[in-house]
Amino acid sequence: MSTLAARSDYAREILHVYGIVTWVAIGIALVVGVALAWIIVRFRDQPGASRVPAQTRGHTLLEISWTIAPALVLLAIAIPTIQVIFRTQAAPPRDALEITVYGHQWWWEFRYPALQVVTANELHVPAGRPVALTLQGPDVIHSFWVPRLGGKRDVIPGRLNRLTFTAETPGEYRGQCAEFCGVSHANMGMRVIVDAPDAFARWVAAQKTELAEPAGLAAEGKAIFAGRACVGCHTIRGVSSGALGPDLTTFGSRHTLAAGLLPISVDNVAAWLKNPPALKPDAKMPALGLTDEQARAVATYLIGLK
Amino acid sequence: MSDAPRDGEHPTVGTYVRVALVLTVVTALEVGVIYVRRLAPIVIPLLLAMSAAKFALVALFFMHLRYESRVLTFLFVGPLILASGLAVALMTLTGAFLVFGR
Amino acid sequence: MMSADSSGRVLHAPPSALAGVETPATVLSWLTTVDHKRIGILYGVTGFAFFLLGGLEALLIRLQLAVPNNTVVSAQAYNALFTMHGTTMIFLAIMPFNAAFFNYVVPLLIGARDVAFPRLNALSYWIFLAGGLLLNASLLAGTPPDVGWFGYANLTSRHYTPGPGVDFWLLSLQILGVSSVIAAINFIVTILNMRAPGMTMMRMPVFVWMTLVVQFLIALAFPPITVGLIFLMFDRFFGTRFYDVAAGADLHLWQHLFWIFGHPEVYILILPAFGIVSEVLPTFAKKPLFGAPVVIYSGVLIGFFGFGVWSHHMFATGLGPVADSAFSIATMLIAIPTGVKIFNWLATLWGGTIRTTTALHFAVGLVGLFTIGGLSGVIVLIGGSLFGLFAGAYYWWPKMTGRLLGERLGRVQFWVIFAGFNLAFFPQHYLGAMGMPRRIYTYPTDAGWTAGNFASTAGAFGIGVGVLLFIVNAWQSLRRGAPAPADPWDGRTLEWRTSSPPPAHDFDTIPPVYGRDSFWREKHGPRRGAPPTASHAPLHVPAPSHWPVMIALGMGIAAVGALTHVSIVVIGVLWTIWGIVRLALEHHRTHAHADQTGVLGLDHRKMAMWVFLGSECFFFGTLVATYLAYKGRSVVGPAPHEILNIPVTTVSTFDLLMSSLLMVLALAAVQRGDRRQARLWLFGTAVFGLVFLGFQAYEFTEFVHQGFTMQQNLFGSTFFVLTGLHGTHVAIGVLWLLSLWVLALRGRLGVADAVKVEIAGLYWHFVDVVWIAIFTLVYLIP
Repeated sequence: MSTLAARSDYAREILHVYGIVTWVAIGIALVVGVALAWIIVRFRDQPGASRVPAQTRGHTLLEISWTIAPALVLLAIAIPTIQVIFRTQAAPPRDALEITVYGHQWWWEFRYPALQVVTANELHVPAGRPVALTLQGPDVIHSFWVPRLGGKRDVIPGRLNRLTFTAETPGEYRGQCAEFCGVSHANMGMRVIVDAPDAFARWVAAQKTELAEPAGLAAEGKAIFAGRACVGCHTIRGVSSGALGPDLTTFGSRHTLAAGLLPISVDNVAAWLKNPPALKPDAKMPALGLTDEQARAVATYLIGLK
Repeated sequence: MSDAPRDGEHPTVGTYVRVALVLTVVTALEVGVIYVRRLAPIVIPLLLAMSAAKFALVALFFMHLRYESRVLTFLFVGPLILASGLAVALMTLTGAFLVFGR
Repeated sequence: MMSADSSGRVLHAPPSALAGVETPATVLSWLTTVDHKRIGILYGVTGFAFFLLGGLEALLIRLQLAVPNNTVVSAQAYNALFTMHGTTMIFLAIMPFNAAFFNYVVPLLIGARDVAFPRLNALSYWIFLAGGLLLNASLLAGTPPDVGWFGYANLTSRHYTPGPGVDFWLLSLQILGVSSVIAAINFIVTILNMRAPGMTMMRMPVFVWMTLVVQFLIALAFPPITVGLIFLMFDRFFGTRFYDVAAGADLHLWQHLFWIFGHPEVYILILPAFGIVSEVLPTFAKKPLFGAPVVIYSGVLIGFFGFGVWSHHMFATGLGPVADSAFSIATMLIAIPTGVKIFNWLATLWGGTIRTTTALHFAVGLVGLFTIGGLSGVIVLIGGSLFGLFAGAYYWWPKMTGRLLGERLGRVQFWVIFAGFNLAFFPQHYLGAMGMPRRIYTYPTDAGWTAGNFASTAGAFGIGVGVLLFIVNAWQSLRRGAPAPADPWDGRTLEWRTSSPPPAHDFDTIPPVYGRDSFWREKHGPRRGAPPTASHAPLHVPAPSHWPVMIALGMGIAAVGALTHVSIVVIGVLWTIWGIVRLALEHHRTHAHADQTGVLGLDHRKMAMWVFLGSECFFFGTLVATYLAYKGRSVVGPAPHEILNIPVTTVSTFDLLMSSLLMVLALAAVQRGDRRQARLWLFGTAVFGLVFLGFQAYEFTEFVHQGFTMQQNLFGSTFFVLTGLHGTHVAIGVLWLLSLWVLALRGRLGVADAVKVEIAGLYWHFVDVVWIAIFTLVYLIP
């Protein structure tokens, strides 16, 4: 998640300004630090020779110089800074892929209005095409931050904030909520998967195909899912349409569960299902009283949802 | 006792009553102005100017600022200006002025 | 005509007779002290206790983060820890430490014997203690706040954080705000009005100048956060809509109000440290502060421009590129005066004869670390404020205790803290760049953040060791430290001219002022001009009082009532009012209190009232700005034009204007000794005030009957809170006027008491003037 390894136009703009500021800062720090150290050593009081030095009160020319010099340095920083501010906040181009991001306590919802796709916690975007995120929040303030792709932008209920970037290289990028939003703020991670254009098209298509009927343990899992409170909170296309929790239609194609908490495996999913608040403090999903077998059955079902 | 007035003047009871009269008249004008349709386009600057005038009259005469040391004027007017500036900035940032046209 | 009252000792004896006058060391004497030196010590010791508590909280935080997926504390506990740590360190540690130095040293530096209002000074301390205890009581109750020290809405709403933790937090912050603002007014009057003869403003030590700027920042920056907290309190307790998104609220509002306070607050925290450095460096370089006037102007500019940069705390919130750019530029501009100060400090040391005492170590450390910290934009509270405070501690310890701190141990302590600080915080720069957000209770193993966090934790414990070393040093010093002479450092300023520690009355004679660095000139020259003749005015040592403790207790009770039951609030409020009345009347008959004219030819109380009114401009300005910002954004009705009754309000406005006329007539009557008219007009003003309140009561009940309550919509919330708070001010004014009227009835309001009526009048007219603004902006403007 290094901000120094920029993989999008936005991140590179930020890194550009960050670089200028960092080098200037290091330069000034060195100058001041070295000067300070040298002065202390050079003018240190030698025991027994306590002279009273010249009581210089000031020097107008010096004052003017060291007022103007920093001002010029700041000007050199200000110009690229403002340019980058405007460039990174420019309106997205017409061909941008529109995605609406909803920040919940403590998971991310992603909707692609033009493509009619809904998913959660893992965002797929095509490489080389501008992506225009509109950030909305139904509960408290969160902040969308994927360090290698773009700067932080807050999710503020009652406002629409925008974040536009173009990812360069396919790959998987981790992100995290960056504004304290309650007990499990630390557990609100996300992944952004940048796909090559054809891979992205395949992913979109996969989101919309009918799910295959499960068999065996997975079918048991589906029956448990459909018969319990799960359907009140979660949507699985063709099975349920709950809207309080993440959309699980293609849960199996994700890499992590519960907003980046754990990698997806039958064991991990089963453990989550048995007692969510134990793994994610104060999670809104309650423990549903599943037995180990039931949990594994539902886990198998969910992992099969691709 | 109170400090020496700046220019040796001190308002009389008559001055105070006159100020009170002006305040009354301006208040009446303010209320009247909002009912005059012809003035609607400039009613806001008009009201702001009139209330600022009342503010100034009370501060200068009733609060005696006109006759006091400049230190007191500075102690009050400085924060007043800064507060007004911040209020305007706050309103601008929250988009209040976009609503004024409604 | 001097009299020895039971309410105060009035002395005009030769110095030798005063030498034996020592204040006792009983608990009661500490509870009732009004001596600025004792109050300074109280702030320092109390602040240190809270500092240790906050430090413990920090160590727990760092322990939890030392390794990934740690289980030292739960998520909820961690969130409470960083909330309490932040709030404690800022409000209960650094600010009281600063206050300790303001209190102890500023009167000495300006050649005064105490502050302008010694009992209000004590009151500030006790209110601070009440606030600090209230905040930490949340720990005892098991419900500490866990929303961050900045408590962003709407996480802080009753809906998302239902427990009492946030209530403890917002109540204690408001109490602490009252403490700070009272002290700010006190010090502004003291510095402006109580300087020794010959000490012009530009001859004041830079520490005093920085203190003055800080007090203005406090007086003006606390009102906006107070208003923000009032909004939060009303939302949580009464269901108003200030931060209710569904009702059309803008969540930026909280952030704006918080940071309009929050940014000046960081200057409040750091400027005193800058002031200390500006005293320590010259002393130990044996040279004057280079460019002292420029350093002073820089401080003033930093303070002033500090009000214009607050939204740089909101760059991620979507303010838009214009606002982001404007605040970026403003922020860069502030760096210029700060840099100028640093260069002037370097120039002070250059060419000097530098004695590397521990105080100097810390001062130089600040110069270096603050430069780096300021450049990187990250943690400057320890490297800046704390280092400055340690420098001040080592520098002024001899003056305050009469003993020297160990220099060898001091230098060791410096290097331990220096190393610990750098080890604790440098990795955090790196961790942030590696994508680690703040305020997370744990992190995964594969994030690559483990080494940095572990190093940071080690550094934090290093800081802890450094603090322990200071405690050891202090303890040894007090037990068997070398006695300190009056002037251990060959100092430059006036505090070194009196004994260590000073006598109760500070100076036997008010010191002569020869220019800046006056004491140095006295010792080593050049002296400018003849010293003013010593004052033969009677030496009035302020008498102890128990009313400050009582008032603070009342406020604490009221706050506890807010958390428990409304009857306790009533008891607390009544107790507080009773304490205030008794405090006001305590020295009513002491002659020495009749004339409080200071150096500028102004009465202390009058100056204080004007400063207070400046602060109130910010209070009401924030309320009005919120009203206007939210205008037209209510999701449901009614709208203003549908419900406000202009004709009736015009009458009440006229009534209030006329009450101001009656008030000036009352003052004029008192000033010319016309007791009959004084009684008449005072009573008349109060009556007119009551009439106004009657109109307001009528208006409120009418609205409620029509279904327009403060919970109804944004308009309701902003309208009722704005006009309600104004009405509360009117009510307080009425009570004040009636008290003066009662005094007049008893024949106790003579010509000599005119200034008391004058300040009541200033308050009253201001309340009237605020109504002029409200009437226009709320009722009349369409």
